[in-house]
Amino acid sequence: MTDPTDASADPQTSDIPRRGFVTRALAGLVGAVAGLVPLVTGAAFFLDPLLRKKSAAGGNARKDSEGYINLRVTADALPSDGSPQLFKVYDDVVDAWNKFPNVEVGSVWLRRNDQGEVAAFSSICPHLGCAVDYRQSDRDFYCPCHTSAFDLDGDKKNEIPPRGMDALDVKVKDGNGIWIKYEKFRATIPEKVVI
Amino acid sequence: MKRLLSWLDHRTGFKNLLHEALYERVPGGARWRYVWGSTLVFTFVVQMITGIFLWMAYSPSAQTAWESVYFIQEHMTLGWLVRGMHHFAAQAMVVLLAFHLIQVIIDGAYRAPREVNFWLGLILMQIVLGLSLTGYLLPWDQKGYYATQVATKILGATPLVGQQLQTLVQGGPEYGHHTLTRFFAMHTGILPGLLVFFLVLHLAVFRRHGIHPKKLDHAPTTTFFPDQVLKDGVACLAVLAVVMLLAIFKGADLGAPANPAEAYSAARPEWYFLFLFQFLRFEEVEHYGLAFGAIYVPGLLMLIVVLMPIVGRWKAGHRFNVAFTWLMAIAIIGLTTLSFVTDARDEGFTLAVEEAERDAKRVKELAEGPNRIPVEGAASLLKTDPFTQGPRLFAKHCASCHRYNGHDGTGRMVYEQLKGKDGNPIEGDDGKPQQFVVRPTAVDLGNLGSRDWFRSLLLDYKRHFAEVKHSTWYRSNAAAREQHAKIAERLKKAKTAVGKGKPDPRQTGELRAISASLIELSKRIRGDALGQRLNRLQGDRGQLAKELADAEVARNSLQQQLSADVEVDQSLLKSLANKLAEKKKTLAAKDAEIKALRNEMQSPDLFKTSSGDPAVVDRQNSRIGEWLAMLFDPEASEMAAWYDDEEALKSLNSDKNKADFENLIEFLVAESGRDDLSADKAKAAKGKTVFKSGKLTAGSVGICTDCHDSWKETGDFTPSSRDFSYPDVTRVYSAKWLKSFISNPARTQFYGVKNRMPAYADRLSDRELDLLVRWLVRDYFPTRIPDHESKLDALQEGLKERPDAP
Repeated sequence: MTDPTDASADPQTSDIPRRGFVTRALAGLVGAVAGLVPLVTGAAFFLDPLLRKKSAAGGNARKDSEGYINLRVTADALPSDGSPQLFKVYDDVVDAWNKFPNVEVGSVWLRRNDQGEVAAFSSICPHLGCAVDYRQSDRDFYCPCHTSAFDLDGDKKNEIPPRGMDALDVKVKDGNGIWIKYEKFRATIPEKVVI
Repeated sequence: MKRLLSWLDHRTGFKNLLHEALYERVPGGARWRYVWGSTLVFTFVVQMITGIFLWMAYSPSAQTAWESVYFIQEHMTLGWLVRGMHHFAAQAMVVLLAFHLIQVIIDGAYRAPREVNFWLGLILMQIVLGLSLTGYLLPWDQKGYYATQVATKILGATPLVGQQLQTLVQGGPEYGHHTLTRFFAMHTGILPGLLVFFLVLHLAVFRRHGIHPKKLDHAPTTTFFPDQVLKDGVACLAVLAVVMLLAIFKGADLGAPANPAEAYSAARPEWYFLFLFQFLRFEEVEHYGLAFGAIYVPGLLMLIVVLMPIVGRWKAGHRFNVAFTWLMAIAIIGLTTLSFVTDARDEGFTLAVEEAERDAKRVKELAEGPNRIPVEGAASLLKTDPFTQGPRLFAKHCASCHRYNGHDGTGRMVYEQLKGKDGNPIEGDDGKPQQFVVRPTAVDLGNLGSRDWFRSLLLDYKRHFAEVKHSTWYRSNAAAREQHAKIAERLKKAKTAVGKGKPDPRQTGELRAISASLIELSKRIRGDALGQRLNRLQGDRGQLAKELADAEVARNSLQQQLSADVEVDQSLLKSLANKLAEKKKTLAAKDAEIKALRNEMQSPDLFKTSSGDPAVVDRQNSRIGEWLAMLFDPEASEMAAWYDDEEALKSLNSDKNKADFENLIEFLVAESGRDDLSADKAKAAKGKTVFKSGKLTAGSVGICTDCHDSWKETGDFTPSSRDFSYPDVTRVYSAKWLKSFISNPARTQFYGVKNRMPAYADRLSDRELDLLVRWLVRDYFPTRIPDHESKLDALQEGLKERPDAP
């Protein structure tokens, strides 16, 4: 029976050679290139969500020139006592390789404020993004996830949310039709920053 | 055999390796407390195996993730078991992880020379939690979707790089296809790879230092195999048993497909993160901002754990570490329990969970249907299902006045707070504002169109519409009637005083005063009547506006193509543009009509000037009387009068006419054409005769078609030529009738000038109207899910508790 090769007897591995700097340098360089190329390529690919230029949405049949969407509801439909009502917002959505035409992208709360004007709030809670409900019994807005509460003007009623509900720009067009600029804002921070 | 093994050993040296692995010394004897590490490895292996098999059937995209998991769960051989094992082994891993960590800390096995191993273990813990988090999203159901949304938003709250991190993890500014693909790559590739890597290091470093026994004299030193291996094996078997029992008797659940646009009030993280969730519900914590409660505090606590090996150099340090561990364990268990208890007491949350479960059952029912799941994914199944969407639409739009079996359509009661005499909300026993049941002001629609509905309508009309009497408009009209009655009395006296001759100055003055009161009264009621007409016009306008909006979108799409240099049919563009212009004109005309009406409403006087002439005042008085009589009052309507006639009621109720009456009911029920009511055609035909002739076996009743004369034998219902209406009974309570009705109940073929219900054409899209109506007539894919239980009793009870209860 032959002994298994005894690697420790090999003189080459016990001394670190003095010469051969170039060899070592080359070995390191070649190894680095071989290793880094796939890694860097991969890393750049991984960073795509931050790096890819969003193709300018070539206009949208659903939005007007200022980016407002028609909610297809009239101001007359809103209760005169200022109670809010939830309306769905429809828009075209592009998700990577798909385009979904005319799908629900979110909801807004509409109400008549004390001045009689139409006020719109995003239903997305500025705390952590759950959907805010209207509590008829308390006449306030309430988020069931972490109990954020807001009064009917959108101001926060307790310390859970970082800011009040996000008001959206409203336009009442020809014959009372309500159009809104539907935007989403960053959650968790006190400032209102558009995503 | 021995020779073969010996040959293999010579080639590979496996015997040595095996000896190393199996005969590790265990000083102090094999102990149960050492099993946790092995159970963790075992559970991980179970996850790898079940995971790889699930991988063979799972498809990570927004249209196929839920769908492929549904298929695994419901259709594949033992799919439910493989998935169940994967689901519960994941939970087991978190529990075992906690045991392992606590055991290591209590036994001081984190101290020198095992610090690095401790840190490697902590890294492994993070990886396991990461696996849990990424795995929870993969079914792409409502639960996983919303729970993960919260997690990524918390990530986004990290100072400096939070936003970029969130975008990277999500694969974009929003959740979508790339979120799933990234999470999937993390869950099946990156994290398991890292886990194996660190596990190897962890085991290697562990073996370098060996077991750290707390009591060396507990038992004689032994070897890993067979003593510890036996204990480990038993523990692993126990874990397996628990996982299998849970998988078989509880089963992994699958919520409804993720719908970013549908609110999900039952959102909760998986149970082992509930303590964090509960922590974020305290105002004292949130006051300092989300990063404080979600990142800094947990980060700090984690840091303390990381520093344990260093702190543990001193005996006091070790005691601190152990105390800290127990404290954390108690706090975590406490917060988790608090979370469960709070949720159990929250009626809103409990109902939301029930609704989520209904949706989950329903979508699976629909997926079993003849058309299976469409290409755009299973979410569309629920969006187009009347059984799911109808109740929600009802709750949103109808429950302000109506109820459905006492609730708002979704099983929830409608509540409000009431103010006491001091202007503050009345409080309940718990010191919080008390919730009072809101009084419905319109008919309960729970049995709309059924036989009971018609029986109640015909035999008990006043009670059928009794809720209407609680509404503001009714009370206002009742007050107006009272006022009118008083004025009429006064006029009678004045006319008697005048007699046949001409009135003297004093009597003229009195008549003029009466006239003035009549004019005031007329302003009020005419303003109200004009308001109703406005309602009808707005309903019409709403319909026109919808058509215009559709035309605009069609024209815009085509124009967009044009500006993108795509070939466009010019004639089509032209016709669309023409249509659009036409619709704009019609809408403008309607708007002008509305404007004119609004002007008229500025001065709704029925009469211009007061007069002292008794004939004029008399005319004014009767004119107002006519108006008031036209307003809807269940107590005084012609329908009520129809059977107020004692003879008629006796006839209808008598035994001899029972069959005729039932036939009449059957006829009315058959008009709707509803399949679920299974109207008897023969009976209905006989009932039609009663309807048209009023003849009963013994006696007769008023002929229905005398008033409901717009009824057509065949074809659709038609507009009435009258100003006020007897509702058209043609195809009554059919989907088409209901759609037309709800769009504009003020149309002359429905309630006409007597109407008090808003016209929904301007606030419900055609799609929504269709869903609502189909739900009401039960025209949807059959379901085994029972209706929400009736809350009629609870409603009556609740109404009694109101301070304004009679």
